[in-house]
Amino acid sequence: MKNRIILTAMGLLAASGALAQAGKAAPTEKGWEFGAVLDTTATSRPLAMGSRDKGLQLGHSDLTAHGPLGAHLRAGVVASVATHEGKLEKGFEEVWIETTSLPAGLQLRAGRFPSQVGYLNTQHPHADDFTDRPLLYRAFFGGHWNDEGLRLSWTAPTSLYWTVGVEAFRGRKLVTETANTPGHIGAITWATKLGGDLNRSHSWQLGLSHINNRREAAVEDEAEHAEEGHDHSHSAQLSGRKTWMIDATWKWAPNGNNRDQQVRLGFEAARITGLNRFASGRDRHEANALSAVWRFHPSWEVGARSDWLRGRMPHGEHFHNLLLREHSLMVAWKPSHQQTLRLQWTGQRDAVGVDAPARRSLQLQYILAFGAHGAHAF
Amino acid sequence: MRSDALVLALGLLVGGAAQAVTVFTCEPEWAALTRTLLPEARVHVATHAGQDPHHVEARPALIAQLRNADLAVCTGASLEAGWLPMLQQRAGNARTREVFEAADHVELIDPQPGAIGTPWAGDVHAEGNPHLHTDPHKLLEVTHALAARLAQAVPDQRSAIEQRRVGFERQWKARIAAWETRARPLRGRSIAAQHSTFGYLWRWLGLRQTADLEPRPGMAPTPGHLQRLLDGLRRQPPMAVVVSSYQDPRPARWLAGQLGDRVPVLVLPSSPPDDAGPDALAAWFDQMLDALLKAAASSPP
Repeated sequence: MKNRIILTAMGLLAASGALAQAGKAAPTEKGWEFGAVLDTTATSRPLAMGSRDKGLQLGHSDLTAHGPLGAHLRAGVVASVATHEGKLEKGFEEVWIETTSLPAGLQLRAGRFPSQVGYLNTQHPHADDFTDRPLLYRAFFGGHWNDEGLRLSWTAPTSLYWTVGVEAFRGRKLVTETANTPGHIGAITWATKLGGDLNRSHSWQLGLSHINNRREAAVEDEAEHAEEGHDHSHSAQLSGRKTWMIDATWKWAPNGNNRDQQVRLGFEAARITGLNRFASGRDRHEANALSAVWRFHPSWEVGARSDWLRGRMPHGEHFHNLLLREHSLMVAWKPSHQQTLRLQWTGQRDAVGVDAPARRSLQLQYILAFGAHGAHAF
Repeated sequence: MRSDALVLALGLLVGGAAQAVTVFTCEPEWAALTRTLLPEARVHVATHAGQDPHHVEARPALIAQLRNADLAVCTGASLEAGWLPMLQQRAGNARTREVFEAADHVELIDPQPGAIGTPWAGDVHAEGNPHLHTDPHKLLEVTHALAARLAQAVPDQRSAIEQRRVGFERQWKARIAAWETRARPLRGRSIAAQHSTFGYLWRWLGLRQTADLEPRPGMAPTPGHLQRLLDGLRRQPPMAVVVSSYQDPRPARWLAGQLGDRVPVLVLPSSPPDDAGPDALAAWFDQMLDALLKAAASSPP
């Protein structure tokens, strides 16, 4: 049923896209843009909580379409395929419509789309600087969190960039197995971002976000369920009622020429409380990620990332400790804007309560993009 | 007394906010043109002459500028495709949903209808070369269209804008005539340049670009490509090797060095300087012509 709705939505979007292109209502009205991204990665050893299998694997590859729907709306569709644990998975990552003509800097979006929380969640995965998302995203969001819901956002008429948004989602991806059914709205988020330039070469952005998750994680032992053939799922492995996230980004490019040289620094941290009905105030999940990437030549980048995760795994009425550190080093060759060849080394350390940590893993990733693939966010 | 001052200050603030029109411009040439036609407008410029307009970070500061604008003026023809759509999406400003694009109002050179950007073709603009601002005749056509768009945005200034447009056109036509007379020695000379930044300027002045330092549009010069160019250029040395102010001049210097001392490297500003007064555009053309004529005089054909 749901698939049929999505297919119908796709058909409608495609049809209106064709109409928009044929009509070319206003001279400056841009038509629909289509693109494709192919991601292939070879991994020497799979990472604990990682999304990459051992050996050659088709990573997150997608077909995208974006464009106007009449004078007041814009729509986007992202269909993706990837292999995970030997199986080919396909689905719609995004199917949404958005207003473009509300007054006072307001925008309303409906459909399936990535949540506004954190820094990386709304970025295209193929623009990531590392082969896998940080532990924070893998443990708390199953890689990235896209969901069905609504978003209302407002950009303030200030000289400093300031935006505030509220979202209501089904929230099913936040919890592997739920102990309660809270109705249609499973999660409510709000987020705010503030940013600006220091001068021609330096710019910054700060973000604060919060998730109120109305679904409670099941309290039974995870292992028992695994034996029942419960699938690996792309849901969060660690969850709770309240999530706070902060993110900070700083970018430097001499004279604003990011093509020649650029340094990108990013930090994200999250804390989840209210793990379940047995949790005390001290039971919480925490994770952070610090990354630095330097483009030292128009087609070369090097980067390092340090990840840390500490959690409390529910086990009946009590909790087990969970700890993992991860360090990554990468070098990427980008002969053009449409191709990336990346070599990454990753080491996982200090593992407590984590299955099969990889002390060292090498990954070779190749990303190829065709057609329009949208402008990148800061 | 104090409350009077407060009322006056408030009145000025509110009045000022209601009067001033804010214009977001993608490149300094459109800022200069906007200031010429509507000097009282508040103008934001997203890029400067030292910056590659194809590759700009969709920075928070730019989103805030677009959010506050009543009108956006850009080049179009996909020049800003890598960043402007993201700014529009984040700004959520209904007034700048439709951007005034200069490329919609002139005929572009080198269109490549049906060209699809494959990952190996470089940055291909199917619409044609977007760097139309280096042709003063095309600039005049854009001025005409921009004046109409500004008058639409500020109806009570319609006659003033029209007056300034007429004045600018008269002055500009006289300047074009003078430039064309001065530039006669350039006609038929050959030039090596990086990217198609000055394609319109060459066409206007009758110069021929015999080599492009980029192996593919938008890609940085590679040693192998420069080596291949060298054979052809040795047989027919160009008048100069030209790079824009935002490009790394080292590949051009290397190439000129290999061709001997007679071929100079010219670093031409790809756009006028920002906020350089009412004659910024004319001064920029003067500067480019001076540099080219000097190079032509130093290396006789």
